[in-house]
Amino acid sequence: MEVKLDRINKKFGAVHVLKDIDLVFPSRKFVTLLGPSGCGKTTLLRMIAGLEEVTQGAIRFGGRDVTKLAPRDRNIAMVFQSYALYPQMTVRKNLGYGLRVRKTPKIEIDSAVERVAKILEIDHLLDRKPGQLSGGQRQRVALGRAMVRKPDIFLMDEPLSNLDAKLRVTMRGELRKFHLDLNATTIYVTHDQLEAMTMSDYIAVMHQGVLQQFGTPEQIYNKPANIFVASFIGSPPMNFLTGAVDGTNIIVNGVALNLPSHAAALSGRELQLGIRPQDLVLTDQKSGSLPGTVSLVELLGSEKLIEVELEGGNHLTVQVNADHNTRLRETVHLKLKPDRAHLFDRESGEAVLRQIAA
Amino acid sequence: MFRRNLFSSDRVVGIVFIAPFLIMAAIFMVYPIAEATRLAFVSYNPLRPDASFYVGLANFQYVFADPLFWQSMWQAVVWTFLSTLFQTVFGVGIALLLHRTIFGIAFFRGLLLFPYIVPTVVIALIWRWIFNPEIGVVNYSLQAMGIIDAPIYWLSTPTMAMASTIMLNVWKYTPFVVICVLARLQTVPIELYDAAKVDGAGAVRRFFDVTLPQLREVLIVVIVFRTIWTFNKFEEIYLLTKGGPGTSTFNLAIYSFEQSMANLKLGAGAATGVVMMVMLLVGSIIYLRIAGFEREE
Amino acid sequence: MNRFFPSSARKALLYLTLALVTFFVCFPLVWALSTSLKPKSEIFATPPILIPRTMTLENYEALLTGRQQYYQADPKAAVSGPSPAAFFTRWFMNSMIVTIGSTLISIVVSTLAAYSLTRFRYWGRSSIPYFSLLGYMVPSIIFVFPLFLMMVRLELTDSLWSLILGYVCITLPFCMWLMWAFMRSIPLEIEEAALIDGASRYQAFANVVLPTALPGIIAASIFSMIVSWNDYLFGRVFMNSLDNFTLTVGVMLFFEGTHVDWGLLMAASVLMTLPMAILFMMLQRHLVAGFGAGAVKG
Repeated sequence: MEVKLDRINKKFGAVHVLKDIDLVFPSRKFVTLLGPSGCGKTTLLRMIAGLEEVTQGAIRFGGRDVTKLAPRDRNIAMVFQSYALYPQMTVRKNLGYGLRVRKTPKIEIDSAVERVAKILEIDHLLDRKPGQLSGGQRQRVALGRAMVRKPDIFLMDEPLSNLDAKLRVTMRGELRKFHLDLNATTIYVTHDQLEAMTMSDYIAVMHQGVLQQFGTPEQIYNKPANIFVASFIGSPPMNFLTGAVDGTNIIVNGVALNLPSHAAALSGRELQLGIRPQDLVLTDQKSGSLPGTVSLVELLGSEKLIEVELEGGNHLTVQVNADHNTRLRETVHLKLKPDRAHLFDRESGEAVLRQIAA
Repeated sequence: MFRRNLFSSDRVVGIVFIAPFLIMAAIFMVYPIAEATRLAFVSYNPLRPDASFYVGLANFQYVFADPLFWQSMWQAVVWTFLSTLFQTVFGVGIALLLHRTIFGIAFFRGLLLFPYIVPTVVIALIWRWIFNPEIGVVNYSLQAMGIIDAPIYWLSTPTMAMASTIMLNVWKYTPFVVICVLARLQTVPIELYDAAKVDGAGAVRRFFDVTLPQLREVLIVVIVFRTIWTFNKFEEIYLLTKGGPGTSTFNLAIYSFEQSMANLKLGAGAATGVVMMVMLLVGSIIYLRIAGFEREE
Repeated sequence: MNRFFPSSARKALLYLTLALVTFFVCFPLVWALSTSLKPKSEIFATPPILIPRTMTLENYEALLTGRQQYYQADPKAAVSGPSPAAFFTRWFMNSMIVTIGSTLISIVVSTLAAYSLTRFRYWGRSSIPYFSLLGYMVPSIIFVFPLFLMMVRLELTDSLWSLILGYVCITLPFCMWLMWAFMRSIPLEIEEAALIDGASRYQAFANVVLPTALPGIIAASIFSMIVSWNDYLFGRVFMNSLDNFTLTVGVMLFFEGTHVDWGLLMAASVLMTLPMAILFMMLQRHLVAGFGAGAVKG
């Protein structure tokens, strides 16, 4: 079931929290709403669920306008950040609640509950109460509650943020598998870009109530639409420098760095250069490379992060193989991989290079 | 050496500070209760205080044989049950409806405590005034609105007098219930309601499946305490009806009072008091049992 | 097709409830006020009017100046003689004295005791507060007569002291409980810092603990004052002479006669409630906080 958002606007009093959101969630795909706190992603999710009113615009499920429908009529299921399990009911009753409320015959409820419990491996917990379960178990019950009802659309509001780091990694895979089992359109909200990257078919990046970019994880990572997306995605974050384009080079700190050939169209403009730490190389060549002093070396394991201070005070982070033997206060030269360079307009933040390349 | 000094002077301070309380408690709490129990076993005529003598269980026998005692007991039960019932129902209802108001809620909460601070004497007098059959504003308004034809004698018939005292009790103490329930409601996680909405539960279902279970503990405490307190209330009834008309609104406290003041049988009054204390104890134990079970889970 | 957000209907219901509840809570006092400001002619007028056409302060005047009204005490009444209105100010003072006196005692005693219970170790330190609470649950009717007999023996009956001391028995238990709960929540580190700085226990108590415990003290004081001011039972049993009655007992006397001056009575009611209302409004926040620290009582 496809979910379509048509010019969605949301105001809380005078505060305009969502601005002209046009978005399509393709049927049966896993789409993540990604953004920092306060960007409006949870509000948007709640509006899709029917828990918040839409100020302006329309929401359609498979062509059907659901904007004014109550949650119970939308055939959706939702997992909340706190799981929101009914504390006084057993797991069995929690799982069956949605069906019970719809007056499904008891036999059907029981078999559905048993089936789901088996799949999620919580069948031994059926007679316990939520207070007696661990965080991971509670989450599975929350998932089970959604699964039992066979919804068209499945919503998740930061379900992993209450789990410890190790469990989170395991659950990421499980949620992805869960989505495939359920075979529903899944809309997932998070502020963690790693979750978004690893789990989604598509990502919608949001910032201050505006949709920044919609695309596959590869597109978001490799072709960010603006500075915000570029800086939000990727760890460690992208480096930014200012420079003037001259032919197929960009002049930064007086050094001419190579750019791809189509960059010549932008010649003469002063732009923001973006380059990921993974796309910078340490080189011995003194020409066409930026000189700098090493100010910090961090060992990550198989990689090292080296912070280099350039003339003029800019810092760049470079990610290199751990067997590089770089020392503090050593002078190094940095070169960038030309086809990995991003250029952004200094005022609007829009990416200008990829538009030409595309 | 410093430590030794501090320790011994600490001891002194500790004792000095608690001594006044212990003394006062002994005189004004322990003694009266002990004496009240003692008086139950004695025949005491205030006009001839030195002629009191031990009578064993005679006072209790007298009281248990008195039909008025049992009538008072029954009326107390009825009064307590109905008062608590209305207080709880109205209290929960009002709290639910107030739950979502954001504007001015602090002021309103203050307003709700107002009946508690009004002296019972004042509210009883005002009640008598506005419920006066001939010249009270209530009867006038009801007749003017066509709800009744003839004036209701609010305080002159046994049923109406009981109803009036219940009304007064409800007026005075429902706000308490509202505040307690409201406080609890505000800690119920909203996500539970959201989940229920998504699951398909309507408003009524949400009340029974989400709200009520969350309110369970608060309600138990509130109901138990209100029951214990209402059962033994003296002023709310006495100042409105003096236990009348006749003895139709007597409860055990008034019965005890009348035995001591009107009949000058302090022994009987004390015996009634002992019965009340025993019932209080039983009630508290039952409450602790229930509350204890909650905690074990 | 379900109605989605009947928010306007919901809001209307909300405000309606608010209005109704406010009305029921306030109406008695409002009506009393209205009656008290009406001249005799308007009190019995039909239809009854809320806002008097002619406002008069004659009732309040009578009460506050002690000037006699035309009201004559019924010779068959329990108390005969001058009009109760003449005694109003006297009764007001009595209530004040008794309330403030007993509150002072209760507060001082319970604060000291609470401090001792939470700072020092000795047998009974955890059970004493609970026993105190138990004492609070005992209905006052049980205390009245034994205390009365005690007062008789002490020859304190009919003096205000009997009430000041008597009220201790109904205010001290809950004050103790409240102050204990409050003291428990004051961290020891503050005093330990003071002690290290060189203060003695008494100084630490006075300079550090007391100011921090102020909200609890205020809450307990309010509670104690309300209970003492509003009491009827003790006042009725302990006092004999017209001079020494407290306000609650005295005002009920307006009722003993055959002729009831409603205007006067309502004015007396309003004046009686006024100190409590003022106190309450000023310190309302503390009261709610104090209830949070104590048990659910009523």
